Order: sequence, then structure tokens, then C-alpha cells
Amino acid sequence: MRPGVGSRYAWRSVRRNIRRTVLSVAGIGFGCALALFVDGVNRGKDEFYVRVAAETGTGHLRVVPAGWRLRRDADLRLTDGPAALAAARALPGVTVAVPRARAQALLAMGTHVVPLELVGADPALEPRADRLMRRMERGHYLVPGERGAAVVGRAVAERLGADLGDEILATAMGFDGEIQSALFRIEGVVATGSEDIDASICQVALEDLEALTGRRGPGEITVILGDWRQAGVARDRLSARLGGGSEVLTWHELAPEFEGHLRQDTASARLVTGLIIAIVLLGVTSAQLAAVLERRREFAVLSALGMSTRRMVGLLLQEALLLGLAGATVGLAVGGPLVWHYARAGLDFSRWLGSSYSFQGIILEPILYLDFGLWLLPEALVISLGSTMLASLYPARFVARTDPAVSLRVAQ
Amino acid sequence: MSPPIVTSRGVTKVFTLGSVQTQALRGVDLEVREGEFLALVGPSGSGKTTLLNLIGALDVPTAGALTVLDRRVAELTRGERAELRLRSIGFVFQAYNLVPVLTARENVEFVLELQGMGTGRRRRATEVLEELGLGELADRHPRELSGGQQQRVAVARAVAARPRLVLADEPTANLDGENAEVLMHLMRDLRTAHGMTFMFSTHDPRVVEHAVRVVTLVDGRVARDEEKPPEPPHEILPGIGKRLPSAGARP
Repeated sequence: MRPGVGSRYAWRSVRRNIRRTVLSVAGIGFGCALALFVDGVNRGKDEFYVRVAAETGTGHLRVVPAGWRLRRDADLRLTDGPAALAAARALPGVTVAVPRARAQALLAMGTHVVPLELVGADPALEPRADRLMRRMERGHYLVPGERGAAVVGRAVAERLGADLGDEILATAMGFDGEIQSALFRIEGVVATGSEDIDASICQVALEDLEALTGRRGPGEITVILGDWRQAGVARDRLSARLGGGSEVLTWHELAPEFEGHLRQDTASARLVTGLIIAIVLLGVTSAQLAAVLERRREFAVLSALGMSTRRMVGLLLQEALLLGLAGATVGLAVGGPLVWHYARAGLDFSRWLGSSYSFQGIILEPILYLDFGLWLLPEALVISLGSTMLASLYPARFVARTDPAVSLRVAQ
Repeated sequence: MSPPIVTSRGVTKVFTLGSVQTQALRGVDLEVREGEFLALVGPSGSGKTTLLNLIGALDVPTAGALTVLDRRVAELTRGERAELRLRSIGFVFQAYNLVPVLTARENVEFVLELQGMGTGRRRRATEVLEELGLGELADRHPRELSGGQQQRVAVARAVAARPRLVLADEPTANLDGENAEVLMHLMRDLRTAHGMTFMFSTHDPRVVEHAVRVVTLVDGRVARDEEKPPEPPHEILPGIGKRLPSAGARP
């Protein structure tokens, strides 16, 4: 179907001053690409932070005994740990679910003592849920069925003056209030890259911790999901399957300070995106206004012919729409491959951050992978069309207020 | 005698620029009847363009009563005045003022599209251009046309929607004598064929010769209003009146 004369008019008007149009489209496209890149970084960072946080012990979900959230008491245990574990593993979208128990303990070797939180874990599954346990500097992680073995952080080993094969004494409060001790043999040393974190790691088999403390069962079930954005839905589903003696917390609730940081980061990224769009807006407004001023007489003639203000504004917005579509195309053509490249290669910050760094007790790698996905398309359209439409409002207002008689008189 | 389609009683127009006030019209009394071919003459600054703009509802009078096609111009909103122009008034400008990015046909068709005419507007635009001897040039852009041709396209655009009143401000000022003559013949024949009312301002005595009525403005007042005897029958230019429906019919 042949487009109406009005549409042809808008299309040809956009091409009227080709140099200005190219510059406008380039400006919109460049701004759009930049905004897509910033958002790609932001989305990638969110995913990255949450993934590493989840995989360094926090998990996307955690089943805890009722009341744990308030007291954060490491001595609490789930009343029906096996059932909770089975329910968690049966949940759709779960990558891994692991049981853990914790106890405040003192590790000692000779005259050296290190206080820390002793973790009892499932030797077969824990490395899948906690990537720090995959960072073995020496030795190996716990082996299923092997009793009396321990894995410690490098700083713990250094502070105890211990090494592989050495026996260390773990002392903790027993179930009956009595102090209990047990000997563990160091089978592996973990080096995370953060001394603070290395100084807090000591893992033993869950059964060994049960034997030491006399408390049966896990104190938590930590769940890793395939898609972290589904945490809320998965929490609700899992809660529905559990009894009243436990509750399910999401990573937001487990690490609220971390989530706060993420929100702050997201706000900063949005501010940067907003500034980019504002700069694009100013540029496009200026170009559009210049175009309208050049066509002042033309608009006066259109008005004289009976074209209503609404239709004239519509004509301008149609032109803006075309500019916006062209800008979105350029933005996608430039920003898409850019985001795609860094989604695969990653943005490497190791020159500034070293091989790894920690934040809020979480080990972060200095390579950040941007998020590449279908979101680029609607976002490019929203940014480009939104900014060109907004940028056209002032010139459109100018057109709407133009007095045709005055404009024609000036032009004659 | 046909009823007046324009009635001006004591119309004044004052332009204010900062603290300076300029009185462009000082109490114009005028009646224009349906089907007239009226020339508005007078020296520069006498108020011809201002009066045409007021009658064309592009502007509103500062004082006085101006009624155009039974509508009191001062009482109309901006949108109502635009609607009045769209439905009932055609404009021809001194500088042609065609939309440069549209072809001759599209310039004419655009007005019909604004009027809300659906299918058939392209055909109608072509017919009007053919009627004015521009059928061969329909797909040319204004830059590809001579001044005379552009002004004929402007006339086609003005009359395509069959307005009852066509206002032309110095339509021949940018044309040579031959083209001016052709244009005046065209407008006169359109009026004869379709009964449209033409009002045009001019300085050119050769153009005034074509007018049936000549109104002279001096210092914003009507100084003289002369009617000529009815023109002798003459041969209408080929094509005129053959295709263009008569004024008053709606698309």
C-alpha cells in the first residue's frame, strides 16, 4: 500500500538536509550504543555479583530453621533436614542443593589458636555450591566417607603454623553445654586471594561436625539456581513444600548489605545512562529546532492551507520517529557487537584490581562479562525513540505556537 | 445579487512590536460577494496583505467586525480558523511556497489528504493539474519547475479542494509579463467555470485589468471601490471546467 503524502513528506523532510540527519542519527546511535554498553555492564555485573556471592557460600536460597533469621544462631538445626534437602533438590531450576552445619570453634595447634566458624559440609557436593572450595592451593578437598579430615584457608594454616598432614584440635560447645574437642587432619589448603577470607575457612565433613557438637542434622540447606532472577518464585514454591519448622530465605535477605550495594551500583549506572541520554537529547533538540526554524515559512504555509497544529506536531513527531528508528538501528549495529564481544571476552580489570578481590566477604574476579541478550532490541528502541520524541517536544511546541500570519509576513 | 461571503465593518488591525504600535488597518468597510474577481490595490504598506490575512482567518482583527463565510473571525479559536481555511479558503502566495520535498501532484494531493479525502485524491490532484495544463509536470519537484509553473501548481493546490474563496497575495509579483498573463487567465477562467470567489492583491496594472472589481487601500482604509462593467464573453482556456467539480460540491 502506498503511504500517505504526509508520511512521504515526513520521510523526505528527514532526508532534506542529509548532513544534519546523518549527524543526528550518528549522535543518537552513538548515545544509544553507549547506553546499551553501560546497561550491558550493569546487567552483567548484577549477574556476576549475585553468582559469585551465591557460589561463595550464600546461595540463591537457603532453608534455615525458623527463628534463625532473627538470631543468626549457628547452633540451630533443621528439624527435618533430609526432607528439606529432598524438597529443595526436587524444585525446578535448581542446580545444586547442599546441606551444611556450622559451629563457633577454636582451632589450635601447639600454642597457636584461631577462632572461626567451623563448617560441616557434604564432601561430594560442596565444591559445586562453593567455588572457594575449588581453589585448592595444596592437597585436596574432603573425600566422601573419609572421617577426621579438614580443609583450611591458607591464612588459617599460617596462623596455626600447620601444613598438609598436620593434626589440629577443634574445640566447640557441645549440645549439652560441655566443651567438646576433636582432632582433624589437614588434607587441603585453600587460597582464595583474600587473606580475610582465608583466615575464616575450615570445613569438615557434616558427620564430623555432628560428632563434635552432638547436634544432629544440617543447620541449613543452601540452594544454587540456574537463573538467579527466579529466586523469589523458587522461594515461594519451596516454602509451600516445607513444614513450619523452617523458612526459606533468598540471597536478598541473606546478604542485605550486598543487595544494597547492588542497588547503589545500579542507580549509578542508570545515572550514567541518563546523562548519556540527556546529552543526546540536547544534541537532537538543537538539530530539530534548527530544522524547524529553517522551515518556519513552510509551517506557516501549511497552517495557511488549513493544517491543524495537532497535525503539524504529528508531522514533526513522525520525523522524530524516523530519526529514532535510524538511531536505534545504528545503536544496535554499534552497541550490539560491542556488548557481544565483551560478553564473551569479558572486561578485564585485573590491571587495577589484581587477580581477585573481595567485597563484603565475597571473592570477586576482576573480569566482568557483559550481559548480551534480547533486551538490547527493546532497550535500543526505547532509548532512541524516547530521546528523539522527547527532543522533538520543544521544537513541536515552537511550531504549535507559531503565528502563521507573522511567519508569512517575516518571510515575504 | 449574490450574498456577501465577506463582510468587513470598521475592521482595524494594530501590530505591536515592543513599545511601537503600527496601525495597519484603520476601519475597513468592505463586502465581497460570491463569485467576484476582486483586485486589492494600493501602495506598499497600505494594508493589502494584512486585510487578506484577516479575511483568510490567518489573523484576527484588533477591532471591528469581520465575517467570512458566515463565521465571525474574531470569535473563532485557532483550530476553528484552521478548519475554515482547510474547508473553504484557498491561498496563493507571492513566493509560490510549494513544499519543496513533494512533487507537484503531491503538493496538490496533500491538501486533499488534510481534508480527509480517502481514495481518489491522487486522481483528483492529477485532474486539477491537467486542467491547469500541468499534467506532464505532475511528478516534478518544485525545483524542477519554472516560476510560472510553480505558481500554477500553487493555484492548483489552492483550488483542488474547491474552496468558495481563493485569496492570492501578489500572485504575479515574481512572474514575467507572459506568465502573469497566463496565471490571471487561469484564475479568471476557474472563477467563471466554477463560481469561486477570487481576491488578489497586486501592484501590477496589467493584472488589475483582469479584475472585475478593484478596491484601493490607502493608509489602511478603503480609498476607492470600483466595479467594472461585466467582461465580454471570451474563450475559456482549454481544459478549464472540464474536470474540476464546481465550487460548493464536497469531496
